[in-house]
Amino acid sequence: MFWRLLWKLLRGSGGRLAVAILALVSCAMVVSALLNLEFDIERKLTQEFRTLGANLLISPRNAQITGSSPAEVMSESEVSAAIQSAKDPNVVAAAPFLYIVGSAQDTPVVIAGTHLEELPKLEPAWRIEGAWKISEAQQTTCLVGRNVAQQLRLAVGSSLSLTYLKKNAQLKVIGIIDAGGAEDNQIFVELAGAQDLAGLPGEISFAQLSVSGTTAAISHYAALLASALPAYEVKPIRQITEAEGDLLSRIRLLIVSMIVLISVLTALCVLGTMAALAMERRQDVGLMKALGGTIGRIVTLFMAEVGVLGAAGGFIGAILGVQLSRWMGQRVFGQAISSRWEIFPITIVLMVAVSLAGALPLRLLGKVKPAIIFREQ
Amino acid sequence: MATLVQVEELRKEFGKVRALADVSFNVDAGEWIAIMGPSGSGKTTLINILGGLDTPTSGRAIVDEVDVARLDESGLTRFRAQKIGFIFQQFHLVPYLTAVENVMLAQYFHSTTDEKEAQLALERVGLGDRIEHLPGALSGGEQQRVAVARALINHPKLILADEPTGNLDEANEETVIQLFRELHREGHTILMVTHDPAIGNLADRRIEFAHGRLVKVTPSNDASRNAYR
Repeated sequence: MFWRLLWKLLRGSGGRLAVAILALVSCAMVVSALLNLEFDIERKLTQEFRTLGANLLISPRNAQITGSSPAEVMSESEVSAAIQSAKDPNVVAAAPFLYIVGSAQDTPVVIAGTHLEELPKLEPAWRIEGAWKISEAQQTTCLVGRNVAQQLRLAVGSSLSLTYLKKNAQLKVIGIIDAGGAEDNQIFVELAGAQDLAGLPGEISFAQLSVSGTTAAISHYAALLASALPAYEVKPIRQITEAEGDLLSRIRLLIVSMIVLISVLTALCVLGTMAALAMERRQDVGLMKALGGTIGRIVTLFMAEVGVLGAAGGFIGAILGVQLSRWMGQRVFGQAISSRWEIFPITIVLMVAVSLAGALPLRLLGKVKPAIIFREQ
Repeated sequence: MATLVQVEELRKEFGKVRALADVSFNVDAGEWIAIMGPSGSGKTTLINILGGLDTPTSGRAIVDEVDVARLDESGLTRFRAQKIGFIFQQFHLVPYLTAVENVMLAQYFHSTTDEKEAQLALERVGLGDRIEHLPGALSGGEQQRVAVARALINHPKLILADEPTGNLDEANEETVIQLFRELHREGHTILMVTHDPAIGNLADRRIEFAHGRLVKVTPSNDASRNAYR
């Protein structure tokens, strides 16, 4: 009889309850979309931040370039072994660099030796005219910064002669880099070529890593590398990691605030509807009490009705919210936000809680005195 | 015959208004009592107290050996479910429940529901073909008969009827009164508030109230009973 009564109550108050369920579905839709966003924001944001470049630096303790060659160098194999052994799947890119100051066409230039194929992963924001790499032997190719190319009148396909001390290397320009920074004044060559030119085989100036994850996760990874490389300095690039962590915290705070605000507003909307419903139901409650219905049994019936409303609103809203979050992901990040199954139970439980909070007036029906209700008529 | 209802020095005050003033009377089991009097004379207040819907200011109202005045809220609820069958002038059916569900509602709050028994109760009041009808689809007389079926479903000790024919036309009134006659014949104890002297004459006794006081008790006789249309 309980379920029969519940069903009849829901059917009997359809019009009035439609307002409440509309509010609950709207709330659940926005809440589930925001929760989906919240769950995925870290991944999305770190992806976005990775376009800003490296966020972890491994360098000698007193890194500086004196004259034309680095004063302190590190062992490439040691650094590479440490990165390999840490096996962090969040490492997006890792590139060693050897910086020397040589000359091209009698003009002093900064020569950066690195693994050229890592550059597009390490610096996704850099634009290139030409190619990052070609199939032919990498040691005979180079990438040239935009300013250097202008100054030396180089284009893709040009030949370039680099000189360092008494050594010389003939290279072909395969790409012109537009980094929008100091890199536009540099020439990028394969690390082995630079090491050969500098006479520093197996040595590097520093290594840059692009690591996704939270500030804490990046710091943890940095500490792990630091313990593996005690002779070197491993440090997060603060401006980037802190900005990332700060933005993530702010967005999360904003999302949680919006969820709370929307839930409170919805509870108020449900409250208004239920207050009107409670007035309508006073006679029914008076009658139920006259027939021997206990307060607990009667209020449980009405609360169950509200709970069903909340659950239904939460379920429908969660489905719509997943679609909304996909749309939001496309608009904001250019790709859909991944749906999470946890959204459904969380949204449903939250909507049941919101609807029960909004059903406060129905709880007051427990105080209805049948004699007074009947006397009013 | 055993006394089912004992009312002793019963008083009810609403602020400074005295609705009942030291009322005392007894009702035997199986008796049909008509409570009469002008509006505001305390009839409904008396019914409400005897039915556990209201509590007296002082005095005793004992129904089937239970002093209603001494019961707390949950005790009154249990008392209403187990001992009382209410029939109201306004019928008070739940509009979104069918006739049979309205009857089952009383079962639900009493103990457990039995749809077959509820259907039989409706058949007994002549509504076997109206079981699945909503109150809105029933005439006033039919609605009151549903209310009678609901009042009887839990086999109450006492039937309290507050002007059960007050909202009915003549034909429907006759049908409902016929039901009360049958209930009386079957041995049910009935306290019925009515303004209609003809209906009052059908009862075993008429208890008349004025300004909250019991002013007159009149036993009916066969002549007065036969005077009903």
